[in-house]
Amino acid sequence: MTIEEAKVILKELIDRSKSFGFDEASAMYSDHESMSVDILNGEVSSYENSRDSGITFRGLKNGQMGTSSTNILDDNTVEYLLAGAMENCEVLNDEDPDFIYCDPDHKELIFTQMSGTYDKNTYERFKELGLQIEKAILAIDPAVKQVDYLSIGCSRGPSMMMNTKGLYAYTDEDGISLYAGARAERDGVVKSGGHYWIGKDIDDFDLSKFIETVEDNLMTKFGAASVRSGSYDVVFRNDAFVSLFKAFFASFSSIIIQRGLSLLKDKVGTKIASEVFTLKELPMYEKALTKIPFDTEGVMTYDKAIVENGIFMTAFYNLKTAYKENRKSTGNGFGGSIGATNIVVTPGDKDFNGLCETVGEGLIITEVSGLHAGVNPISGDFSLLCEGFRIEAGKRGRPVEQITISGNFYEMMQNISELGNDVTNIPGTRGEFFCPSVIVKNMSIAGEEK
Amino acid sequence: MNDSSIMKILDAALSNNADFAELYMEEESSKSVSLLKGKVIKAGTNKGAGIGIRIMQGTNCVYVYSNNFDPESLIHMAREASMALAGTDRAAAADLQKLCKSSPSMISVDPAAIAKSETVEWLRNASEYALGYDPLITQVACGYNFSSKTIRVVNSRGVNKEETKSRIRFSVETVASKGDEKQTGRISPGTLKGYEFINEYPIIDKVRECCDTAIRMANAGYAPSGKMPVIICNGFGGVIFHEACGHALEASSVGIGSSCFAGKLGQQIASSVVSARDNARIEGEWGSYYTDDEGNESSDLQLIENGILKNYLIDELGSRRMNMPVTGCSRREDYCYAPTSRMSNTYIENGSSTPEEIIANTEEGLYCTQMGGGSVDTATGEFNFAVNEAYMIRGGKIAEPVRGATLIGKGPEVLMNIDMVGNDLELAAGVCGASSGGVPVTVGQPTIRVSSILVGGREE
Repeated sequence: MTIEEAKVILKELIDRSKSFGFDEASAMYSDHESMSVDILNGEVSSYENSRDSGITFRGLKNGQMGTSSTNILDDNTVEYLLAGAMENCEVLNDEDPDFIYCDPDHKELIFTQMSGTYDKNTYERFKELGLQIEKAILAIDPAVKQVDYLSIGCSRGPSMMMNTKGLYAYTDEDGISLYAGARAERDGVVKSGGHYWIGKDIDDFDLSKFIETVEDNLMTKFGAASVRSGSYDVVFRNDAFVSLFKAFFASFSSIIIQRGLSLLKDKVGTKIASEVFTLKELPMYEKALTKIPFDTEGVMTYDKAIVENGIFMTAFYNLKTAYKENRKSTGNGFGGSIGATNIVVTPGDKDFNGLCETVGEGLIITEVSGLHAGVNPISGDFSLLCEGFRIEAGKRGRPVEQITISGNFYEMMQNISELGNDVTNIPGTRGEFFCPSVIVKNMSIAGEEK
Repeated sequence: MNDSSIMKILDAALSNNADFAELYMEEESSKSVSLLKGKVIKAGTNKGAGIGIRIMQGTNCVYVYSNNFDPESLIHMAREASMALAGTDRAAAADLQKLCKSSPSMISVDPAAIAKSETVEWLRNASEYALGYDPLITQVACGYNFSSKTIRVVNSRGVNKEETKSRIRFSVETVASKGDEKQTGRISPGTLKGYEFINEYPIIDKVRECCDTAIRMANAGYAPSGKMPVIICNGFGGVIFHEACGHALEASSVGIGSSCFAGKLGQQIASSVVSARDNARIEGEWGSYYTDDEGNESSDLQLIENGILKNYLIDELGSRRMNMPVTGCSRREDYCYAPTSRMSNTYIENGSSTPEEIIANTEEGLYCTQMGGGSVDTATGEFNFAVNEAYMIRGGKIAEPVRGATLIGKGPEVLMNIDMVGNDLELAAGVCGASSGGVPVTVGQPTIRVSSILVGGREE
């Protein structure tokens, strides 16, 4: 289906919605193309290619928003979507009304950010690069037995939205992602480790830098042992800190707060983290691969501090939750719920080694596992399998495994003593999370011995 | 799609050095509703369809998918895809066999015939019961999802199968608040049975248990940390086996030699009191199917017998890599994923001890009554999983409740450390995520005891 054909269907949905019984309505079309190449043992083990599109309809009646969606785009699509959403409106009885919106100053929102380099992403190019990466990883050390997983993928696609208030919005974007995971074996001990890369132009990929990180993530794990249980000062490597932080990030959503499922309720203006911690949402951040000028409710996004010097400044709002608190949406209405765009944690001055020197004796945490289960996102409690290194006399020491780190998210935020300057970017649902490594005092570690 | 178009697509897929081509077609419809404190806050309806074409040459695979069923564009897509397989040998597709239909669903009352309002009312009653149960219960979220999916798999060997599955899943989550402390209790059963499952489900009893869990955990102190004997209760406790062993028996890791259990068939990998199965053929069970997502008949597979590794879970690609027959375990979330070896209903079989005997025989340890999810690194066998409800055992008796524990270890070690297996096998529904997406599975086990496992808690 072409974008023009899709526009005809969206227009018909919008035009017919009022006579069908809706007060207001919006319709969104999205189209997605992707390609990926997997490499195993010197060959392309898998090649994938796809094209997929669909329409989501949201109909508002008496403040209740019924939704319906389909990817079957035929003569019955419009009827199916209208009837499905209406049936849903009839069972809804939410106390808080929903809204369809159009900013009178921004009725036409068009933002395209195609890289212009997408055509470089061919099967041959990915295959060649993949084989090169595999060879380079195997050459790291004779102990590297196999690159178990190596995948290079790219995707692109536009999305288009219209509503009965007169909004027309269009965005498109593209991107590339690459992941490699390898296995090494020494004296019967098996270790696994890898690295990833995201970007827009495949020519920006730096092979030697990538291999260096894979080597560090894999080969330094040999000789790992547990540690004694106890309280340790910890340097969370940037990516590990983001993983842990993201498990609790929903607590900053006004939906979760209004439902009483976040301990941040009534905490705006209070200190929820150490004064060295500042976290901002910067939707158009210049270093971000994807800029996000407006949300899917048609509200313009803007820069804002969420936590500034430890003080909780604002939660994320969409139209519905903002109305409930008699305030404006923060431009975080995405997909009928709430989401963040680009998140930036303000870095400190020291590099990673500088943070280790500051800690003196403690632990580096490089990976936390089981985040989908080992956290209580409401109370903030967590207990997670993790690995990393000892910090001995201010330097990275022997590797550490089979330990758990446990604590409470809110207590941990208060115990951040310093942030590094080694910012990494981790992709999120939309946008990225930019964050440096972080020192947290007094984390509870469970290991082999009491 | 008619047979002639299918044959043309298969033919195009085989046009360039492929030895196997497969078409996977899918149609799915679903309805879902979410309630918060008894009010319906979300209601959605979805219908989707798509097609995936997989082409293989030895162990090289090409997978393309789309939601566009136009035969001409699919022929074009198949031909383009086949170009990725270098060479000029050309295989021919066998004639399609007569279409064979199956369904593991066991439906007396069709959920599609039930008005949304009836199920909403049922959940609203449960929600009101929970909110009135105790002042500590401050929030109740419920929801349900009914879905129906029909898949058809045809391939160049003439396979022509269709399977329909109707699923029901609902959930109730209660939150108990005590000061800043908030703890949850949750039930989320799933089934391939019809609406009679809802009609017969003792929802009020289950919601009461769910509230009790949340309240007990809100009042509980932190779990201790360190190595200790751990008793894991029946049902969802089986997630330990799923993570610690099941994933590492899948051909996706065994076939490339990356699993810690690769090359161990016939060897003792678990304590002799452990026997385990993966049975996809239990009628009406959440993780069941009769035809897998590459058109093979599913099986009831003995994975471990008295501690000895008997079988791996092998799909078409794994079969080629391992030179062993497929076991009918190839699954995918939907047409957007190429299929791979996955678990179905996977459980540790009954042993001879009663749960009471297991507790009485444990001087001091942790008794885990509700498990959360977990994850595993199949290369190293390192796994972790969360404990949602637990109690200390002191002097062979259940003592105070504790919260916030995580169990960690290495699969091969923990399997050898299971020293007692109960006789109270129970299955529980879940969704397992892996490279071919999220698929419905059941995990299960009787009550078991692991003689020593590392508990990550907050108390030193």
